[in-house]
Amino acid sequence: MNFEWSEAEKAYRSEVVAFLEEHVTEEVRGSWLVDTPARIEFVSKMAAKGWLGQGFPEKYGGTPSTTPFAQYILNVELDRFNAPIVGKNVGTIARTILHVGSESLKLDFLPKIFNNEGQWALTYSEPSAGTDLGNISTFAENKGDHLEVNGMKHYITSAHFCDWYWMVVKTSHELPKHKNLSLIIVDANSPGISIAPMYCVGTTTAERTNQVFFDRVKVPNSRIVGELNQGFYYMMQAIDYERFAIIAAAQHNRRFHKILEYFKEVDFAGERPLTDDPVSRSQMARLASRVEVGNMLERLCMCIAAERVPSVEASMNKAWGAMMHDETCSLAENILGPYGCLAKGSPYAALQGYIMEEYLMAGHGRIAAGGVDTAKTIIARRLLGLPNSFAPPVLSAR
Amino acid sequence: MDIKLSEDQNLLQDTAARFMQRECGFEFLRDIENNSNTGFCPHMWRSFAEMGWLGINLPEEYGGMGMTMVDNVILLRELGRKICPSPLLHTVVTAGESISRCGTEVQKRELLPSIVAGTSVYAFAFQELSRFFHPSHIRCEAKVEGDAYVISGRKMFVEFADRADTLLVVARTGGPAINRKDSSGLTMFLVDRHSVGVTCELMPTMSRDRQYEVVFDNVRVPESCILGNVDRAWADLEPAIQKTAIALCAYTNGAGFEMHARATQYAKDRVQFDRPIGQMMTIQMYLAQSIMELYGADTLTLFTASNMDQGLNVRGYVGKMKAFCAETVCRNMDTGSQIFGGMGYMEDHDTTLYLRRGKQLELMLGGTEYWLEVIAEEIIDRQPVNLS
Repeated sequence: MNFEWSEAEKAYRSEVVAFLEEHVTEEVRGSWLVDTPARIEFVSKMAAKGWLGQGFPEKYGGTPSTTPFAQYILNVELDRFNAPIVGKNVGTIARTILHVGSESLKLDFLPKIFNNEGQWALTYSEPSAGTDLGNISTFAENKGDHLEVNGMKHYITSAHFCDWYWMVVKTSHELPKHKNLSLIIVDANSPGISIAPMYCVGTTTAERTNQVFFDRVKVPNSRIVGELNQGFYYMMQAIDYERFAIIAAAQHNRRFHKILEYFKEVDFAGERPLTDDPVSRSQMARLASRVEVGNMLERLCMCIAAERVPSVEASMNKAWGAMMHDETCSLAENILGPYGCLAKGSPYAALQGYIMEEYLMAGHGRIAAGGVDTAKTIIARRLLGLPNSFAPPVLSAR
Repeated sequence: MDIKLSEDQNLLQDTAARFMQRECGFEFLRDIENNSNTGFCPHMWRSFAEMGWLGINLPEEYGGMGMTMVDNVILLRELGRKICPSPLLHTVVTAGESISRCGTEVQKRELLPSIVAGTSVYAFAFQELSRFFHPSHIRCEAKVEGDAYVISGRKMFVEFADRADTLLVVARTGGPAINRKDSSGLTMFLVDRHSVGVTCELMPTMSRDRQYEVVFDNVRVPESCILGNVDRAWADLEPAIQKTAIALCAYTNGAGFEMHARATQYAKDRVQFDRPIGQMMTIQMYLAQSIMELYGADTLTLFTASNMDQGLNVRGYVGKMKAFCAETVCRNMDTGSQIFGGMGYMEDHDTTLYLRRGKQLELMLGGTEYWLEVIAEEIIDRQPVNLS
């Protein structure tokens, strides 16, 4: 057992930090979910360092990884610098293509992903299919040499700037639920696609997501990822990667410490909440221990990920991280009292309304990439071996 | 970085698990609770010594095994699974560590080998008539009288005091505390339990262990009983308490894991509404939340131990670990008992042994209020933390 970074890992990390100090500009900071030119330029610089394809085979544009934790170290540092992390493109899409995609998909798309050529949108949810993804109705009909896609998706965050949709569709009316889904790659400029914006709740920094409509959209058969009708199983595995890749504990640390430092400094009519108010002080201390537990679950997840897909551990990491986002913002709001409700624009708003905005987004964090309760269901089923709640009563079914 | 156990650590874990499985069943536990005068089994204590467990972290030059704190966590987790009663924690960890840390060469040579051999048991006389654990609340006084010290005062929650050979007494030598953060003016004494003026009275507890109220009525001890520096005990005692906290958390994590496993098995076996109750989402949410907390508590304990092994400052981590593990073990016992339904609250149901220990384990060695203040001092009063 060893919780220390090796010399190689430390050296890599210093290299990353030096790079970020040079290249993370004010325009890059916070460009998490927006496709600004500054962000694209920044990610391309990382691509040029060979950092996006670490650990992937060289024939697909990958670069040798100095350590199994390279991607993690990179993301932690990116997150500390408040720069966009390496997320779904590598974590979900490239990994799935590598594991199940055809040779031509690998040769086509992996080098593009590693060179940051083009953007992707995960295209899963539908109005009737949220947590229950097996319930989608967007259908891809077999037309011989191509599929014809009809239907509607929503909560497609990158739709308004993506080049490709990484999309799950129904491909059989006969096969049973979950065995009738396929993963496909759809060009965003295909005729028949239209999008409409949806805005997350918020006041000043409201994030945009989208509805996407598919009307007789042609997709060549070569864009089917892996086997037809196996999509659900590929996705389940990919979602494990995503929980790990997207919800890094670093962002919860950063939020917690930003709020902690604010409360240490701020003066409320002569009172500093964390030095002069014993209740806030001890609540903040308790939260610190819980945030630390998130770091531990992530370390655990990381160690597992060096060897296999960290399915249960990824669910724990995701669930705990989302809970910490929520707990951090809720506690901060409670400490602020009525001032917690003030939005940007008020001279009395804490951190220019940051805490309030983050509080509103925390609920979203509990839902994204499979909700907290979905994660707990996965833990109950896969780790504890408890029976499926959705199945008929076990004894009657026998 | 990896979390795999070494071959030796696997062996330690397996040996401990097998021993506990064989020797520490519910009948044994109830027998100790109801019929034992000592609160632990002297025969089992000898076995601990034979397996080298009583010297686990003590230096090899004094007969110990010189193993790491991570090894200690692995061992204590197995003891905790079976809620094994023994004076290991304060004998081997609190006293053993204090003696190794600040004892004179003579003290080390004389005292450590007898700890390793299992021939002397120590009790930790620290907490007093105060809800608070912070050393500023210590009022028990040791006054110089010629070439001796005379100790007067009252210590509470002195586990296994009646059976102990030696009491590790923390007493005030440097005048009263100036405020509630003052940890100065204290000295450690190694007091023979059978000294004139020492009386012990059993304090009946929720977990039916052996906690004593110990009164020191003008107890005369020679100067040679002083352990470490006069008036400056806290500098050596605090790290020993940190180590004890790590071992205690390993124990409580083990207890939590066992209760969780029992509740999970019951959820699979117990049928209501034609299905195992574990098929119901409410039960699944309880068990999933608890196991997540246990994984977090366990990893945080191992991480803290590992950092301590590297010689890093672990004060903040120990605070976070103790605060979180304490809450976790208690909640696990409560949640687990809920899953057993009414049976979970019947005196002769075995899991009530875990239920009765949950809250008590949470409150021992400093309640959460103490450890939260340790965290607060580290994260609020010190420089900003740059977490990586």
